[in-house]
Amino acid sequence: MGEYAPILVLGAIAAGFAIFSVAIAPLTGPRRYNRAKLDRYESGIQPTPVPEGGGRIPVKYFFTAMMFIVFDIEIVFLYPFAVAFDALSWFAVLAVLLFLVNITVAYAYEWRRGGMAWD
Amino acid sequence: MNEIPAPVLEWDLIAPLMVLGAVAVVGVLLEAFVPRGPRFVVQASVAIGGVVAALGTTIWTATRTDVLDGDVLARGQVAAEGALSVDGPSLFTWGLLLVLALLSMLLFAERRLGGGLSAFTGRAADAPGSSGEAEATRHRLEHTEVFPLALFALLGMMLFAASTDLLMMFVALEVLSLPLYVLCGLARRRRLLSQEAALKYFLLGAFSSAFFLYGVALVYGYAGGFGLAEVADAVASRTQERPLLLAGVALLAVGLLFKVGAVPFHSWTPDVYQGAPTPVTAFMAAGTKAAAVVALARVLLVAFGGAEWDWQPAFWAVAALTMLVGAVGSIAQGDVKRMLAYSSIAHAGFILVGVVGATGGDGITSVSSALFYLTAYGVATIGAFAVVMLVRDASGESTDLDTWTGLGRRAPWLAGAFALFMLSFAGIPLTAGFIGKWGVFSAAWAGGLWPLVVLGVLVSAVAAFFYVRVVLTMFFDEPRPDGPLLAVPGAMTTVVVTVAAVATVALGVMPGPVLDLAQQAGAFVR
Amino acid sequence: MTAFWVLAPFMVLAALGLVLARKAVHAALCLAVVMISLAVLYAAQGAPFLFAVQIVVYTGAIMMLFLFVLMLVGVESAESLAESIPGQRIGAVVVALVFGALGVVGVAQSVTGAVVGVDAANEGGNVEGLAALMFGPYVLAFEATAALLITAVLGAMVLAHRERLGRRLTQREVAEGRLQDYAHHGTHPGQLPTPGVFARHNAVDTPALLPDGSVVETSVPAPLRARDQVRPGDRSEVDAVARELEPGEDPR
Repeated sequence: MGEYAPILVLGAIAAGFAIFSVAIAPLTGPRRYNRAKLDRYESGIQPTPVPEGGGRIPVKYFFTAMMFIVFDIEIVFLYPFAVAFDALSWFAVLAVLLFLVNITVAYAYEWRRGGMAWD
Repeated sequence: MNEIPAPVLEWDLIAPLMVLGAVAVVGVLLEAFVPRGPRFVVQASVAIGGVVAALGTTIWTATRTDVLDGDVLARGQVAAEGALSVDGPSLFTWGLLLVLALLSMLLFAERRLGGGLSAFTGRAADAPGSSGEAEATRHRLEHTEVFPLALFALLGMMLFAASTDLLMMFVALEVLSLPLYVLCGLARRRRLLSQEAALKYFLLGAFSSAFFLYGVALVYGYAGGFGLAEVADAVASRTQERPLLLAGVALLAVGLLFKVGAVPFHSWTPDVYQGAPTPVTAFMAAGTKAAAVVALARVLLVAFGGAEWDWQPAFWAVAALTMLVGAVGSIAQGDVKRMLAYSSIAHAGFILVGVVGATGGDGITSVSSALFYLTAYGVATIGAFAVVMLVRDASGESTDLDTWTGLGRRAPWLAGAFALFMLSFAGIPLTAGFIGKWGVFSAAWAGGLWPLVVLGVLVSAVAAFFYVRVVLTMFFDEPRPDGPLLAVPGAMTTVVVTVAAVATVALGVMPGPVLDLAQQAGAFVR
Repeated sequence: MTAFWVLAPFMVLAALGLVLARKAVHAALCLAVVMISLAVLYAAQGAPFLFAVQIVVYTGAIMMLFLFVLMLVGVESAESLAESIPGQRIGAVVVALVFGALGVVGVAQSVTGAVVGVDAANEGGNVEGLAALMFGPYVLAFEATAALLITAVLGAMVLAHRERLGRRLTQREVAEGRLQDYAHHGTHPGQLPTPGVFARHNAVDTPALLPDGSVVETSVPAPLRARDQVRPGDRSEVDAVARELEPGEDPR
């Protein structure tokens, strides 16, 4: 348990700092509110209600998200591979390599078709 | 740390899967590096070539399997450390799936019908009716990704039919479903309907996958293993904790029956079949059903065969309901694609009658009768949807059944082919459908399920009445003045319709060779 | 067991909050609490791999996607609670309760003895054991997931990517094009007029006013005009804001 003490102390300091920063701001800062100040600021455009059914929203972020998920799943598979690497045979290395190549093919497709360009 | 030895893979047995997977990945690479101009032709050729290569490999693999010693006829062996069972039924299904996929790929590649463009939208991200869509059409864009996607779906179907491990089966189920969800939303015409179909299929499919997975978990809890053989051993030896097993069977069945399209998990079928691009509908209707029926039969007969008295009554009810709802539902439809969808539900019911008959032995077994039925149904279905692709008006396919009135006067050959497929669906003698129905009913009869057989025959009669009525209005009523234009059939569609029609007749007149093949496939190997 | 009894009440509360929260963001945060607690439970049960996956995939990726979607759809948007099929909600609740009861009864009847097998499975390490399975009997399933991931990328691209058809114009070409337009059609080559500036809304949706007080329509971006989001920006609104800022004082 003793070797974890520094981690606990560091965690306590971090938590204390976070709580202190949040708590001190309203106590020390001046407060002069009016309604215009409290109003939302959304890129200068008056907030409008979302149309019925959600309307159409851009899904450009979708590729980024999909890349992220794919990498995530990749990590899930690489984790046991890395941990058990010493015990595994060459076959496992080849299997992982095949897996990675397959996923790289998908990225090659996305990159060539401009899925990674943000314009 | 203990050494982890490399698994033993029987490369000669899983070669068809390897070939198909490699071709699909190459398809994605081509998608990345081939310029837009020649891309469609290249992709279509590679996909068709890949399917043919996989078919050749399957035949080569089939010749290398040995007949096993035992009470019942069986061939092949469990491969890939117990993940797959490359046995007679698997190989037959692989061959069937590849032939059906070959026909479907020809429909995918058809560009003569829509003014030189394929049946798939140019840029799916454009809003239907937007200026972007018009721009995409002007630039003659086509989504050629459909070919690798279809190949991945085909790979999933083949894995699904051969999996003998529940975990492998789940992965295969997803590999088969995910590309189909995307493909359903890519129609060039009536895009809102198509997108709705894709979303419905995705949501309900994801839901059914969750049921399947939960069932896998419960069965694992009961049996302590994922392999169907391990489950079978547990079913035979354990007498406690029956509820866990039954709940597992029920949840697994939900996932599988959803893919089969059986009542009460059928409600997606009409909407999805109607909305999806017609080549995709043909592929999905024929292929998914074949893969799912074989997987369902494998799970029921191999893993839960020892507990058949527990699950059979539920499946009798499902089979009966499926036949009834499918047949009655198809009568009420005014749209050709919806009608074919309900007809496919009814066929799922007929096949289930054969499957739950659960008879083995030397005569007609559940498995062989289901395999033959799937062949007859698959070929006629692809043919019927190919005809649907050809009957068009200014806004695309004219699927309203009223506009088909008098089609026989204007296009006798086309209407004749469609009538043939309808008669095969109805199970009229001298068509493949008759032999198929006779097979499943005699399997069920041999299994002592005479009430279901009687019901099946009655339902067939009702359905036949309806199919024949459609045929009559096509041939004996006056064509409507505002009837659909008939597209000049391209070479691909003509080949598909012709092959399907010839096969439907051939299987009806001389069913011997294919029936023998289905018989020789024998039982599942665990 | 301690971990379970400490975490279970939190999880149940958070799960209830997830279902009952009116705002989608609150529901998402409740979901995060459930997921993290679940991860800790996995760790306590001797499943470090599952713990890592739960944190990396669910709490990391899936949660982030949920929040992403929420931000896009709008934090404020409430879902429509109108029933399209009458009685659907009650029916769903009844069926869910019956199904849940069936599941609980079924599983509870079965799992009466002590759970065995975890130690045997974790012999030689939990993650190592998984590796032995993944690169042993399930290597084919492992490779098949690659097909799944490729399909995911293909599907995302097909459904959401708008392929650019032409080349992107350079700045020079844009400038030349503008001057061409000016030469042939007399279109003003410069920028469009900037929108009005206004104490409350230093906003692009408030049009600029000409010296005679008339509104310059083109000073508001076209998408806003198309969406009918242009504010009139006339004198009365200035007065209203001024009154809000300094109540009791006549602005003039």
